[in-house]
Amino acid sequence: MRLEKVCYSYHDRIPALSEASLDVTEGERFAIIGANGTGKTTLLHLMNGLIHPSRGKVLFKGREVSKETLREREFLRFFRERVGYVFQDSDVQLFCPTVLDELLYGPLQLDIGEKEALDRAYEVMKMLNIESLRDRPSYMLSAGEKKKVAIGSVLTMNPEVLLLDEPTNGLDPKTQCFLVELILALNEANKTLVIATHDLSLVDELQATVAVLSEDHRIEKKGSVDEVLRDEGLLLKVNLIHEHIHRHGEIAHKHVHSHYPLHRHDR
Amino acid sequence: MTQSTPGSFKTGKGKVKVPFLERGINHLAGVIRKGYVQWEVSSRNGFFQKIDARVKVLFLLFFIFIVSLKGTILPETYIWVFVFALTLFSRLSILKVYKRVLLLGFLFGFLVALPSAFNVITKGEIILPVVRLSKAYHFWIYPIPADIGITREGIYGVAMLTMRVINSLSLSFLVLYTTPFHEIMRALKVLKAPDSFLIIITLCYKYIFIFSKTIEDMHLAKKSRIVRQLSRTEAREWIAGRIVFIFRKTQLRCEEVFKAMIGRGFSDTMKFYGFRRMRKADWCASMFLFFAGIFFLFI
Repeated sequence: MRLEKVCYSYHDRIPALSEASLDVTEGERFAIIGANGTGKTTLLHLMNGLIHPSRGKVLFKGREVSKETLREREFLRFFRERVGYVFQDSDVQLFCPTVLDELLYGPLQLDIGEKEALDRAYEVMKMLNIESLRDRPSYMLSAGEKKKVAIGSVLTMNPEVLLLDEPTNGLDPKTQCFLVELILALNEANKTLVIATHDLSLVDELQATVAVLSEDHRIEKKGSVDEVLRDEGLLLKVNLIHEHIHRHGEIAHKHVHSHYPLHRHDR
Repeated sequence: MTQSTPGSFKTGKGKVKVPFLERGINHLAGVIRKGYVQWEVSSRNGFFQKIDARVKVLFLLFFIFIVSLKGTILPETYIWVFVFALTLFSRLSILKVYKRVLLLGFLFGFLVALPSAFNVITKGEIILPVVRLSKAYHFWIYPIPADIGITREGIYGVAMLTMRVINSLSLSFLVLYTTPFHEIMRALKVLKAPDSFLIIITLCYKYIFIFSKTIEDMHLAKKSRIVRQLSRTEAREWIAGRIVFIFRKTQLRCEEVFKAMIGRGFSDTMKFYGFRRMRKADWCASMFLFFAGIFFLFI
């Protein structure tokens, strides 16, 4: 998937992305990091063809993803079958009456036979350990369960590319851990993963290729996880880390704060 | 900010009341939410719960048709008894169902039809005189007699209409309380209801729950910060502001949900996975309900 100098603004007034260019290769783990409001979600929406750039191009397997091309039935199916999107707010994504209906929704929309759709749904339920939730309505699920169902609802479509928007947001440590393992397992199964997050420890755990979005909605840097996360100046500049004071017993001291790679104490 | 609030708690007089309007909206939101959850998790052990949703939807349409055809009270009463028995066998709470049926029947049946009981509208034998005027009048196209009262024919018409409304409501509540919403939608899809209609109904149903929850949360958030009695004007302003907020939020959520649907391959048609096959019990129930309907049609 490729983005070429993509610009986007809401209501033609509020800029959300500026000249963003990206290249995500097959089977890659790719993380888009940035502070709140830098345009991570917008970028994923563009990559999923839900909105379209005001300037620039989004390309999938060499073909432009635009309003016009998505009107072609064949390309629409080709694209939707291959690119799945897990929304940040699971409530938005869970609009069917029960968990089973959620899991079947995608495959049925893609005209996959009922038997195969059911097979996929049961396989995904088993994989995510949500078999007991089969007939539950979405409002009777916990945040972690909702997230699992939301991911499951996309996995039943068996996409090649998975776009995940803040996947670990608001989840307890155990569910976060489950999710990280799941993401790694999916990548092992050759799925391309694009994750938008501001959770630096997640990016570090996934050892992903990273693109950093700045507060003026530009891609500030692209590189390996080490290159980006060791660049303290960059992370400070894009507001992903900050200086704070905390105490160790009687001693109060100040240092750059981040939950994983930069948490060190100067002596 | 760095200083804590001084002083200790002193007992005093005075109570803070939550405005009526706000309490009312919060109560309504609570009722909607409760109703929604009860509906979805309602017991499935009764007679009607076990029947296929398609049979129930057809039963509802067939019986409402019969109810609207009947011209006398007696058959309407028989139908009422029949539906009451079905409600009983379905192990529904009679009190809960009929409280709603009677309230709505009173509002939309009895009260709406009541004016037609007077001889000003329905001519006939006066059985309950109400007003006596000095002489008869003629107002626009209406002749107003000197003796105004409720006529036998009028009261019969009101009773007839009220019975029809009550029967239609009882039938609807019986089906709604024994069939989860998504099964009704599926049944309607099988019965070739238009997709746009189903999409609108499904999303509305979902929104009602989400926004009733939002309203409750907003009410609680406000309650946690109230320290004095609010005036009615303040309460009205708050509610007006929240209505605008909810409206905006609905629009945004609608766009988001639609994007999520598109992201999962939605194009223009609703696709449900197939129904289970009709079992012997479903066929038996449908035959029973069909012949019961035919019986009521000809009595």
